[in-house]
Amino acid sequence: MTPAMWAPILAAVVLAPAGSRLGRRLPPSVSVPLLTLAALATAVATGFVLAVAAFDAMAMLGPVAALGHWSVASVRPGGTVSIMLDVAAGLIVGVLLAAAVRRATRIGVDIGHAVATCRRLGPDAGGLVVLRDDEPDAFALPGVRGRVVVSTGMLRMLPPDERRVLLAHERAHLAHGHQIYVQLAGLAAAANPLLRPLAREVERGVERWADEVAAAEVGDRRLAARAVARAGLARARSPVDSRPGLALHAAAERGGVGARAMALLQPPPRRRRWPAVALIAVTLVAIGGAALTGSTTEDRFERAQADYTLAR
Amino acid sequence: MPGSSGRARGALERDVLACLAAAGRPMTTAEVQAGLHGRLAYTTVLTTLTRLHAKGVLTRQPAGRAFAYGLAAEMDEIPASLTARGMRRLLDSGPDRASVLASFVADLSPEDERILSELLGERGHAEGGERT
Repeated sequence: MTPAMWAPILAAVVLAPAGSRLGRRLPPSVSVPLLTLAALATAVATGFVLAVAAFDAMAMLGPVAALGHWSVASVRPGGTVSIMLDVAAGLIVGVLLAAAVRRATRIGVDIGHAVATCRRLGPDAGGLVVLRDDEPDAFALPGVRGRVVVSTGMLRMLPPDERRVLLAHERAHLAHGHQIYVQLAGLAAAANPLLRPLAREVERGVERWADEVAAAEVGDRRLAARAVARAGLARARSPVDSRPGLALHAAAERGGVGARAMALLQPPPRRRRWPAVALIAVTLVAIGGAALTGSTTEDRFERAQADYTLAR
Repeated sequence: MPGSSGRARGALERDVLACLAAAGRPMTTAEVQAGLHGRLAYTTVLTTLTRLHAKGVLTRQPAGRAFAYGLAAEMDEIPASLTARGMRRLLDSGPDRASVLASFVADLSPEDERILSELLGERGHAEGGERT
């Protein structure tokens, strides 16, 4: 593997801890698209350089070289260590590609479920569907015409002005296409597990984003914080709980409801330039490494083919 | 701008439906208006209720000289089992799922619970209606 090929991997290693920290210094409406873009670009770039390394290993095989009409000796200078690395890259890229395909299928099936459920939901009021259910629950259901689904149990828990916060928050998820960011970042994390912290930050970010939209809509940050707090407590103290333990843990980890409420008690986040620039710079390193790898590999094989012709 | 007026209408419909659903009983126009803390004009509430009734979201019955509006009975299209909880189980369970649902609030850690109780200035109280 050449130095340029390590750039996307390095970018992923840097983004894992730094991405979330940089993201939290930006307004969520800025950090979520930037983090999603960084995750996607890095995942694609990593996959690309690993695939090139794997191709290099294959190109060393006699029959493959004969088929491609290139000279094995000039395909690549480099010792056995390098070849071992390339073979490892091939195995890794295979596993990661399979994980990405599995994840993409999963996303497709689940979105399909959501869209089908939306269609079965019958009449709505401005996209709101109320379900009779004593357990306090509220969520946005993505679809062609997405719906906000709220249980009567949740509505009963909130005073009227806090209900407006809840509805504005869920509408914001649908209006700003938050699901798209979450799913793309999740896909990137499946294709490159180093990016998992980034995907979690995107999930956290869309909740903060919707909170900020809702607070702006009701024009009262304290009110928004109270709504989040009351809904959170109502759900936590709900006697009915049939959710599986594992999902419960995952949700508690990614929710950070307390942190969301605290953020709403602070002034709205300022637009800073440097965290955004830093995120874009790391993303460019990943893309640049992949692009450089692509062009040098092409040159290398052209030379190897010329050597092959000369040798004959 | 037709877009912004459509958005405003949607918000009105959501507020009115949420108010009726929270009350859990049929309400007259005046009661809904009061339930929304008088934030909306009477005629606005009346227009919205009428529109929701026409859409089939609400049913109405005479109550004195006015109508009382209530949530329409569970629509035929929705199987009885399809509660919010059932839908969540269907779409959002298991670590391998893509979790397409964006919940308003996720589950709390004990630390979260402490922060939120403090924020509301209350202990073990989660009933709506009061303002702190």
